[in-house]
Amino acid sequence: MTPSPLVLDGLVVGAMLFALGLVGILARRNLIVMFLCAELMLQGISVSLVSWSRHHGDWGGQVLVIFVLTVAACEAAVALVFVLQAFARTGRLDAAAWQSLRESNLPRVVDHELPAVDTVPPKFPRLTPAGIEPAADEDAVLEREHV
Amino acid sequence: MIASLMPAVSPGTFLSVAVAATAGSLWLLLPRGQAGVAERTSRWAGALLGIAALGCFIATGHRLGGLGEEAVFLVVSLVAVVSGAATVVSRSPVYAAIWFAMTLAGVAGVLLVLGAQFLGVATIVVYAGAILVMFLFVLMLAQPAGLAPYDRVSNEPLLSAVAGAVLLGILSLSIGRLSAEPPACCQVPSKAAALADAPSPAEPTAAGDVDLLAEHHVARLGAELFGRHLLSVEVAGVLLLVALVGSIAIVSRGGVSGGDPQAARRAIR
Repeated sequence: MTPSPLVLDGLVVGAMLFALGLVGILARRNLIVMFLCAELMLQGISVSLVSWSRHHGDWGGQVLVIFVLTVAACEAAVALVFVLQAFARTGRLDAAAWQSLRESNLPRVVDHELPAVDTVPPKFPRLTPAGIEPAADEDAVLEREHV
Repeated sequence: MIASLMPAVSPGTFLSVAVAATAGSLWLLLPRGQAGVAERTSRWAGALLGIAALGCFIATGHRLGGLGEEAVFLVVSLVAVVSGAATVVSRSPVYAAIWFAMTLAGVAGVLLVLGAQFLGVATIVVYAGAILVMFLFVLMLAQPAGLAPYDRVSNEPLLSAVAGAVLLGILSLSIGRLSAEPPACCQVPSKAAALADAPSPAEPTAAGDVDLLAEHHVARLGAELFGRHLLSVEVAGVLLLVALVGSIAIVSRGGVSGGDPQAARRAIR
């Protein structure tokens, strides 16, 4: 039996969410954003499971989504604790900070160096001064009680 | 009953009027920078229009399922996918978390349209209400000031994007194949087909569209969960407990216990 159009649409949405989460997990370096992307993948899985549950007229998919929710909560709790510990050690949330993790007497082996990071602060536009600066009244400044 | 008083008006027009009234009332109610009498007039008009829109929706309520399902699904899935993309590409992790909340709202809508009412609500309550707030707490605890360099430079962005796109292509290809008739060897008898008075396989007209799980949804889901899957529920409870105890144990032992934090950082670098 072919799935109904609604079920197919749900499967497509699930696939899109999963692919987006995959891209995020692969590309992003912030540990917290990586976990958010993992949750995004789980959401895609949930949509797919519910679509199949509708297609088959069976509860299995929806029950499985409930367990996915449970495990996602556990995973988030434990993983965020690890993230906090990692932040306490390195001061960064960078996943790539751990690629040189090693024993102190071993040489440093890194698969590929990350692109150099520009530490230049962002450039904000300079506003042109509007109008003429008023001449400061010396007496008023001196006599003022608080500024 | 309003609809029965106006038999000439087709349900589609009625619903369109309701939607337009809702939109207009929201537009009127939202702050748009006016003040004084203009604002008060606008608010009153918006409130009246909102009441009218609510009446229209209540009157057309029983037709919403068949009429607007496709459009609603389109809207909520667009919300989910677009804000999912924004989650992935947001430079600031806080914005990523906020966009993820938006994704959750969209996903909850998709689940509702697909007939999983309980899961739609649970997604909002558990994910947006608990898990996402936990993420935000950790962000507040661990976020350095300003945009960190690792938020501005991705790791192999081109390769990752290609990998994701290829995966999506393969998945949608295989989903597209589902709509074609499967070969005879792979046909699985489905409960939906059996219960829907078995339309013959040659006639695929909306065979899977009967939502068998809609009636007494939560009660039956609960019966299934605590009947067939009772042991799994117990195991899930134990898992939650273990995760709780484990995370508290890890935190309370401290990340750099007994050591010098600066020394630890130097060792990492």
